[in-house]
Amino acid sequence: MARKKPIELFMPPNMLKAKVGGGHGGPDLAAMERAEQALTKLQSAFADWMAEDVRALTDVRAHYARTQEDGARNALLRTAHDIKGQAATFHYPLIARVAASLSRLIDELPQGAPVPPTLVDAHVDAILVIHKNKLQHADDKTALALCAALDARVTEVLAAPAGK
Amino acid sequence: MSGYNFDRLKVLVVDDNAHMRKLVIAILQAFGVVQIAEAESADRAWQSLRDSNPDVIILDWVMEGMSGIELVRLIRSNPQAPNPFVPVIMLTGHTSLEHVREARDAGINEFIAKPVSVKTMMSRLVSVIEHPRPYVRTGSFFGPCRRRRNVQEYQGPERRNEKATVLAAE
Repeated sequence: MARKKPIELFMPPNMLKAKVGGGHGGPDLAAMERAEQALTKLQSAFADWMAEDVRALTDVRAHYARTQEDGARNALLRTAHDIKGQAATFHYPLIARVAASLSRLIDELPQGAPVPPTLVDAHVDAILVIHKNKLQHADDKTALALCAALDARVTEVLAAPAGK
Repeated sequence: MSGYNFDRLKVLVVDDNAHMRKLVIAILQAFGVVQIAEAESADRAWQSLRDSNPDVIILDWVMEGMSGIELVRLIRSNPQAPNPFVPVIMLTGHTSLEHVREARDAGINEFIAKPVSVKTMMSRLVSVIEHPRPYVRTGSFFGPCRRRRNVQEYQGPERRNEKATVLAAE
């Protein structure tokens, strides 16, 4: 069937290249080195940032447990999603993994379906334990077993018929 | 050797997480970018877009209120948008192929899966500078061509049933 509207291709002039120049067209290695140094300097703040994120997670968990509102659920998802994205940068890869599992649970359950509170608590409590014990390596066997158990439980819940 | 004059670049960083904004801004500043605006929500970014008039937007996906994806759609399709061609680099915790496709179909130029790294940030910036994609308007889409890189080099099955009209943007 013919399209009602023709396809138009636009070739905008490359204003960015005109603006920033650049001779060799590849990554700017000196700038990258400066950025790595800047991140190293920032590392002293990472512990505080991780602690703030964990505190925010416990706050939104409590709010959702109290209200069961969609807004609180969405806040819980956003916070877990943020932690999933940045905990590894803050040297807590296992927290990133548990937060990813929690995000998946909330995100993939239908909006109207309640998120099992015990499973939310299990995730948040695991994050609290990992943080409290400063488990900053991804090879802690006990923590890895816990992560795997949480992943498996989330998979079970998501596979179950709605309401079970 | 410094290859680019990043100090001439205006970048808007949109993320509802203050720590992530600080991290991204620290990387950009180390690259040499000095003109950096930030917004803690997509709604704020949209409101300030005309003033900030960025050359590049670095955008989170999951935010309270308007999502990053909704903002990209506005930028590409709303007549109020100051520059529908502005390159958007999506920086997100979403990592699945489905999410990458959804972002592409909304009109993003480049995608970075968190955790952010210096190498990836540089790579995506260089990509929007060195390899800008043509923009496509169909009945249902306006944004960067969703076929990677050079349309002329596309070797896959031909799904477009009409020749595209190539236009030079003003």
